[in-house]
Amino acid sequence: MMTSEAVQSIEVTVRSIICSELRVEPGILTNTTHLMKDLGADSLDALNIALRLEETFEIKIPDEAIPNFLTIEDIITGVRNHMSHT
Amino acid sequence: MTKRRVVVTGIGVVSPVGVGTEKFWSALSAGRSGISAIEDFDTSALRTTIAGVCRDFHSEEFFDERELSRLDRVSQMALAATEMAVKDAALKAGDVGGFDTGVILGTGFGGQRSIEDFCGAFFSNGQGRRSAIAIPKSMYNAPSSNIAIRFKARGPNITVTTACSSGANAIGQAFYLVRYGHAERVIAGGADSPITPVVMDAWKEMRVLSTKNEQPARACKPFSANRDGFVLAEGAGIVILETLESAVARGAPIYAEIMGYGSTADAAHITFPDPEGEATAMMRALSDGSLQPSEIDYINAHGTATKLNDASETEAIKRVFGSRAYEIPVSSSKSMLGHSMGASGAIELIAATMAIKTKVLPPTINYEEPDPQCDLDYVTEGPRDVSRLTGVMTAMSNSFGFGGNNAVLTLRGISV
Repeated sequence: MMTSEAVQSIEVTVRSIICSELRVEPGILTNTTHLMKDLGADSLDALNIALRLEETFEIKIPDEAIPNFLTIEDIITGVRNHMSHT
Repeated sequence: MTKRRVVVTGIGVVSPVGVGTEKFWSALSAGRSGISAIEDFDTSALRTTIAGVCRDFHSEEFFDERELSRLDRVSQMALAATEMAVKDAALKAGDVGGFDTGVILGTGFGGQRSIEDFCGAFFSNGQGRRSAIAIPKSMYNAPSSNIAIRFKARGPNITVTTACSSGANAIGQAFYLVRYGHAERVIAGGADSPITPVVMDAWKEMRVLSTKNEQPARACKPFSANRDGFVLAEGAGIVILETLESAVARGAPIYAEIMGYGSTADAAHITFPDPEGEATAMMRALSDGSLQPSEIDYINAHGTATKLNDASETEAIKRVFGSRAYEIPVSSSKSMLGHSMGASGAIELIAATMAIKTKVLPPTINYEEPDPQCDLDYVTEGPRDVSRLTGVMTAMSNSFGFGGNNAVLTLRGISV
């Protein structure tokens, strides 16, 4: 079980990666912000975000997981799951 | 097969002497050099530390941060030049869209900068930044595809890569598409951004770059006996080609008519030029446009300032024009712009177009010592006013690439 500090730290890092990859201001992100619909991301952006997550958290994100990364919350949950598996 | 007349109705240019036709032409027609010291990376291990960098090109004026992250500098320049050309041709974004508009673009190095970034990351033992957009950013057809995407041009979309003649071959192929009815209009030209540490080092080993680093503006000396090689440059040149009929119907500005195109291969040596291949391309560009050698008023030379090119090109011009070769003004825009590889043929066609339009010939600057092998009229005294010529002018633009790929275009002014 992760500590709340650890969970919060994951959230902060995920948000920062998304902001830097999609060139958006952190203020506009909520947990339900949709990468494609709200931020105009496409499949290449999703791949780059996955790459950054893999590098940063030293995890391996399987190909089939990437299409499920639709909202900020999906990504945070996904990263937490993959971290607990690794 | 019916031959439709094809005209240039729009021009866009990103060059070391300025961005936009006005700045470009005011510099070129005044004999001003765009060569400067390279500042973007460490040149201490290089023999050549100067280049034709497009310092006035500020990509953030054309693209937002997100777009910039997706576009190599070569695509940025190609898109910026296209935007200028489309506007210049008085076409609205909607007019360009559809299956009747093609894009034919020449490039020698494509997304070379991005390739080097990604190679750097790959060879850095996991330290570098990998990216999912490495391929779409660096592929050779990225500039032409990005143009199509931005302007919704859905006709033929082809990237031509024939080294230094890429831009001229692209315009030649585009000319054929419009002439023979395969497209109503084509966004055509060339773009290259090869001033990188790896490319500069590779050229160094070929010993074809000028090493006159102390006075950058005086380094490139085409046709002069003391020439010591070309100066690498970057840039983009785009023209809008369409039928004369459509240009007249929509009241578009017309710069010039493309008369003919000649394309040949030396089929001899991968780098050593062959005057016969070059001369034949020139002759075909004349006959394709139903022109006699006597009708050419000006030649915009390939004129790289390498020992071999300038002698070979001079010989080829003599073979085509005979004794009249000595009466035709021949000038090298590369003396001011440097050699922008796949963009050069397109940018120089634009220079020839502006010469026809303004009746001013851009000079060959930095000419200092006569070379017995180069004995034509190279317009070395400065820009030449030829307004005494009555009627419209006819010009030829030469481009010869490594690989033995020769492309020559002939063009003529339009009498209004």
